[in-house]
Amino acid sequence: MAEVEKPRERCRTGIDALDSILYGGIPRSNTILLTGSCGTGKTSLALEFLIRGAIEGDRSMFVSVTETTDKLLANVIRYDFLDKKLIAEAKMVLIDLPVIYERLGLDKAELTMEEVSLLVASILNVVRELGIKRLVIDSITSIGYKLKTQEKIRDFILRLSKGLSALGCTSMLVSEVQPGTQAYSTFMVEEALADGIILMGNMERRGDLLRTLQVIKMRGTTHSRAKYVLDLTQAGVLLVPLLKGGSVNL
Amino acid sequence: MSPSLETIGIPALDRHLGGGVPKGFTILVVGRPGAGTEFLAKQFASTGDAQTTYFTTTERDQDIISVMKQHGWKTSIKIFNIGVKYYETILEKRLEISKYRQEGLRYEDIKKHKSDEIAHEINYLTSLAYEISKLPTPFRVVVDSLDFFLENYEASEVLSALRTIKAHTQHSESLSLITLLKNVHEPRVQSSIEDMADMIIELERETVQHEVKKFLIIQKFRNNPGLVGSMPCIFGPSGIQLQS
Repeated sequence: MAEVEKPRERCRTGIDALDSILYGGIPRSNTILLTGSCGTGKTSLALEFLIRGAIEGDRSMFVSVTETTDKLLANVIRYDFLDKKLIAEAKMVLIDLPVIYERLGLDKAELTMEEVSLLVASILNVVRELGIKRLVIDSITSIGYKLKTQEKIRDFILRLSKGLSALGCTSMLVSEVQPGTQAYSTFMVEEALADGIILMGNMERRGDLLRTLQVIKMRGTTHSRAKYVLDLTQAGVLLVPLLKGGSVNL
Repeated sequence: MSPSLETIGIPALDRHLGGGVPKGFTILVVGRPGAGTEFLAKQFASTGDAQTTYFTTTERDQDIISVMKQHGWKTSIKIFNIGVKYYETILEKRLEISKYRQEGLRYEDIKKHKSDEIAHEINYLTSLAYEISKLPTPFRVVVDSLDFFLENYEASEVLSALRTIKAHTQHSESLSLITLLKNVHEPRVQSSIEDMADMIIELERETVQHEVKKFLIIQKFRNNPGLVGSMPCIFGPSGIQLQS
């Protein structure tokens, strides 16, 4: 028996092709995993999601774990549509997680369970305070290395996604995986807990290294599961369906 | 005094040792709290020809100098106050951390310092070894006390720093004196430290018929086990004196 569900409100990523893959966008308040090996365009896609959101009036926050946000601003973000005023007016906020670590004295190599909840509470605090509607954490894998055990990583993601969802914040957790792996995450728990998984990869075809994107799972919406070829341009992420012909080695 | 020997600061002890302690020695002074290890450290610091550098983790500079003056000792020592620096930086930091933990972080708290401004916590163990390595040689060094480092850093790191200090002391024919509380640290750590020391002096007291008797015990003397033994001593107006 088919239940009639009220369609979930969407958070349009602003990346047109991705929004059509998702039939309108990410269901609002979802926490999704953006996963792939290095150089597949995860950070670029996540940043575009935030900038497009900020332009539309969704206050956005980027939480950087490994790279400093200064460096990110200086070298990484080259989008034509990024108006520096968005950052100056704090419509898009960039914070460095190491600063939070430092403020809270979380400088040990491994955090305790209590410190994990402290860390979650601090991130949620800022999200609530600023009324953040879109959040990116780059990367959840780096945080995972500090949490060490699967229990703590599970606890971290569960508390965080629950809290973010309650605040109506749509979030992307960037996950780093080894090239060639079958898994969608490093610690295995991330993929099970996320409301959605977008897989980004590299694919060699006729000597070209193509970037690909595929939506593996997305709670609250139907979506295409086809593989798309992704192009990173100054005008943003462009996606075209991967043409199957020609991929066969002759 | 033979050119290869240095005074320890207690003339009768120098005589007992055949003129003094060999240059290059690392001396460990152990005792229970109140045994007088810090007192011996100051007496040692005020003697010899080399410049003394006094690393303290517990006392204020003026207290050290005032004890030395009281006993008429030379006060031309350089004091490196790790305790004060530690309290100024680390404890202040801890206070701030507990405030953030209690009251929660706000955006302002994160924004006001950018990541590259994160103050690096000073590792006082590294700075101890570094400061000693920079001293003009030969030197006379006092570290009072090693307990501070064992409380705040991994034992293996402390041992490694100690090894560096010892090697440098030996190589430059200097003298180092290090104080340590007795029966506080893990036996394994304590043994490793004792193993490293060239000489171990223990200060001990004993109550015999309501009378407190104090002893200076030589627990170890490298290459001369014959010197190991216990001597009664008094803490007089001019310092520690042995009673024969």
